[in-house]
Amino acid sequence: MSPNLLLLLLLLLMFFSLSITSSLSSPSPADSPPYLWPLPAEFSFGNETLSVDPAVALIVAGHGGGSPIVRAAFERYMGMIFKHASGRASLLARIRFLRMVEYDITSLKIVVHSGSEELQLGVDESYTLMVSKKDEQSIVGAVTIEANTVYGALRGLETFSQLCAFDYLTQSVQIYKAPWYIQDKPRFQYRGLLIDTSRHYLPIDVIKQIIESMSFAKLNVLHWHIVDEQSFPLETPTYPNLWKGAYSRWERYTVEDASEIVRFAKMRGINVMPEVDVPGHAESWGTGYPDLWPSLSCREPLDVTKNFTFDVISGILADMRKIFPFELFHLGGDEVNTDCWKNTTHVKEWLQGRNFTTKDAYKYFVLRAQQIAISKNWTPVNWEETFSSFGKYLDPRTVVHNWLVSDICQKAVAKGFRCIFSNQGYWYLDHLDVPWDEVYNTEPLHGINETSHQKLVIGGEVCMWGETADTSVVLQTIWPRAAAAAERMWSTREAVSKGNITLTALPRLHYFRCLLNNRGVPAAPVDNFYARRPPSGPGSCYAQ
Amino acid sequence: MRGRGAKIAGVLPLFTLFMAGAISAFEDIERLRIWPLPAEVSHGGRRMYLSGDFKLVTEGSKYEDTTGILKEGFDRMLDVVRLSHVVSGGRNSSRSGGSALLQGLHVIISSSTDELEYGADESYKLVVPSPEKPSYAHLEAKSVYGALHGLQTFSQLCHFNLKKKVIEILMTPWNITDQPRFSYRGLLIDTSRHYLPLPVIKNVIDSMTYAKLNVLHWHIVDTQSFPLEIPSYPKLWNGAYSSSQRYTFDDAAEIVNYAQRRGIHVLAEIDVPGHALSWGKGYPSLWPSKNCQEPLDVSSNFTFKVIDGILSDFSKIFKFKFVHLGGDEVNTTCWSATPRIAQWLKKHRMSEEEAYQYFVLRAQKIALSHGYETINWEETFNNFGSKLNPKTVVHNWLGTGVVERVTASGLRCIVSNQDKWYLDHIDAPWQGFYDNEPLQDIKDKKQQSLVLGGEVCMWGEHIDASDIEQTIWPRAAAAAERLWTPYAKLATNPDKVTTRLAHFRCLLNQRGVAAAPLVGGGRVVPLEPGSCLAQ
Repeated sequence: MSPNLLLLLLLLLMFFSLSITSSLSSPSPADSPPYLWPLPAEFSFGNETLSVDPAVALIVAGHGGGSPIVRAAFERYMGMIFKHASGRASLLARIRFLRMVEYDITSLKIVVHSGSEELQLGVDESYTLMVSKKDEQSIVGAVTIEANTVYGALRGLETFSQLCAFDYLTQSVQIYKAPWYIQDKPRFQYRGLLIDTSRHYLPIDVIKQIIESMSFAKLNVLHWHIVDEQSFPLETPTYPNLWKGAYSRWERYTVEDASEIVRFAKMRGINVMPEVDVPGHAESWGTGYPDLWPSLSCREPLDVTKNFTFDVISGILADMRKIFPFELFHLGGDEVNTDCWKNTTHVKEWLQGRNFTTKDAYKYFVLRAQQIAISKNWTPVNWEETFSSFGKYLDPRTVVHNWLVSDICQKAVAKGFRCIFSNQGYWYLDHLDVPWDEVYNTEPLHGINETSHQKLVIGGEVCMWGETADTSVVLQTIWPRAAAAAERMWSTREAVSKGNITLTALPRLHYFRCLLNNRGVPAAPVDNFYARRPPSGPGSCYAQ
Repeated sequence: MRGRGAKIAGVLPLFTLFMAGAISAFEDIERLRIWPLPAEVSHGGRRMYLSGDFKLVTEGSKYEDTTGILKEGFDRMLDVVRLSHVVSGGRNSSRSGGSALLQGLHVIISSSTDELEYGADESYKLVVPSPEKPSYAHLEAKSVYGALHGLQTFSQLCHFNLKKKVIEILMTPWNITDQPRFSYRGLLIDTSRHYLPLPVIKNVIDSMTYAKLNVLHWHIVDTQSFPLEIPSYPKLWNGAYSSSQRYTFDDAAEIVNYAQRRGIHVLAEIDVPGHALSWGKGYPSLWPSKNCQEPLDVSSNFTFKVIDGILSDFSKIFKFKFVHLGGDEVNTTCWSATPRIAQWLKKHRMSEEEAYQYFVLRAQKIALSHGYETINWEETFNNFGSKLNPKTVVHNWLGTGVVERVTASGLRCIVSNQDKWYLDHIDAPWQGFYDNEPLQDIKDKKQQSLVLGGEVCMWGEHIDASDIEQTIWPRAAAAAERLWTPYAKLATNPDKVTTRLAHFRCLLNQRGVAAAPLVGGGRVVPLEPGSCLAQ
């Protein structure tokens, strides 16, 4: 950064610092955009209105500026920002041109310092965004996004797109309250959404719609609960009969499909964390390989006695390693009912031979699966029962995934484990009776006070379990409530904890929900108590 | 509405080759998984594959496609076919067997125009050869819009082969001759009760093409909001819900253009005088008074000047031959209750009912002067049917028996009886949508020909961007088959087509359309885990 630029930044900061506090305590009326979601870490603004050229030019700099990820994102966002401006606007543009009136914003400069496109947990997503009028004194381009990685640049582009609003009077895109200076970074490195393609198959196009919508709320991990007892939709070349457990020939993902989903997500700065939930949620595996069942009449959990079981797990993980580059791999481990082990003769004998209780066998299974994942250079993630049942035996690298008990992360981090927060009472999206404010007010660090412990909570995740969510309702069950959690995980704790959220958050959430609608995402009304209900009557999107 | 397709029958000798034995048994037809069912289908039992660079060939076509409607339609067809899975199988792979590889689709269109004309020929003939035959599929149509329907049918023949990871067509050779039963196959959307963003409307239009619907009835304005820009009266869209829940004039033109390129007409509606309260937000003098705001002031010339301005602006972008003038649910008490209007009524010796008639007829004249034929809701016919302009199309919604009376009087009719075809009635199951016969009890051929078709109505009181798709689909598809497929081929018991409709619902899902499960009424959610095909 040149000294001049630094000086200018400081000046901007000093000049507009006053407006920060006022913006938080008294939001403007609902129809006075722009409203940002999630709220940036630091921002300041003024009171100018700037027009944006539909032909705004992309100027890139830095080692990563030329990345195709940046270019593709720029094109995507231009499509979203200028979806209204058609013939008339360009006519207006021509008139303005003839009058030698220029647009205020004619270029968008994206500076990316790192040339690496590696997308992993903890990747630097910070960025600064400056929007100001070009004038003779200014050495700053009209809009500048500066980031250390391409993924920070993506977050900056999202914020920029939320500053842009179509003005119906001039029929052009305007940025209100300029100049803007935004310095932003996420509070948590892991901000997830779970989808479940076992209870209902989700077509590829639908998964892509979900991923795209995640990027609007700056979520960054798609937790793909691929398989469960109901169906096994994914192709695994090493054990090609496994996807016989799919609902139908039609409801399957090929290896190439899964790779395409990972590629699509990466272009949007989103990691894909796959899950195979063993040994308790795996009945569908046995459709292709009945040997994996304890017996034909008792099919779950997977047969703990056979090496074949672990060969299959190893084969699946080897196949998946080629598809999923993310360092975290979810091994499930929840809700293991071991009755089948007790009641199947050969398993019972095996247990007796090793002097195992069923609980010992459960531990044995999970730990052996962990070692397989680790051997494939994966960090295992397990649901919390593994921690509460035999926590001290878990591999120390394990990330404990909370869902059941509200203080489990507190306990897990005290033992030095990392933790992901998904308290079912608030962050299970299939619980339709949890309104947005309860989602919003749920704090992953609640009760965790030591800084060293807090750091071990890598983030949280909202879970869209699929029992009653298929293609027809999945997006409106996710949105807008997932956005409430997204702001909790992105914005500073102070910003989301202070004040009356009916004033500080609700108008912006209304606005964000309508923004999702405007981008074609069927986010449900905010104000309904029950999720995914239709609007209660005619009315404005911003008031429902 | 029948028989125009006959003109192109037998153009190529190739077609006649496959005509023998074209009629398949009902069970076999149900196995075909095509929705809506084509007029004539025959098929064989062989498998063919689509080449990795499946091409569009148009040699011999009179249609030049200067605006790219066909090319775009072809590309969209390939896109949706490839949407289900990543096609990664080897191009022109010898494993597929050389002769079993389809190199492309040869489209021959005999009309050079790309004007989307109401009632024009929508027929097509589609031939997919057997592996022994030349390696192109053939699609013939009179117009490019017929060809688009053929592309939709072709897309439904294509499946993903999970072993070879290429697109395949089973049961070749195929020989399909098809045309719609009715020329008007509509879907109403309502952007007054809730604003629908542009991408949402475009998604609805795309999904309509999959079911071969061809009229988007755009109920733009109503009591609650006035979202559209009207250049002649620029304050009208002050009645929008907010400054951003609006359509510019260009947006509307873009929607019309988007629909037209997919063979879909846009029928614009202003519902006067009864459903127009939001007009007065920008021009309060359109209200009888500040505290009695509906219907529009019948006594003021300004009212009709505004209607004239709106329809004049409409005529620049809405190129469909019809405009819908509403005219339903007119509660005229505001007119008598407002002294100024009561005086005017007295002066002109009009009852409230007569003023209602006067209003509707005057609005009709204005529409005619802008080159439109008018459509009005059935109350206008029920109240003063003999006075309506003879070019009026009466839009049924309330009762049964109206269609019979309308056509008996020589007027044309569109069927939308609310008990069966109102999509906002979410307790109405798809079977009722399938079963609803527009020509019910109409025996006379002349009268039958006056029934232009039907329309399913997605009223927007409880419909916004979040739930419109699953409230429309799959029930609208059930009506779409009723409107497209020859009467004789329709199932007398709708439950017989359940499997095929479930398949179409899953196809919509695969294409990113949020079509709801079949089991239950409208917009039902799945009750438990399960296959899309079984719910």
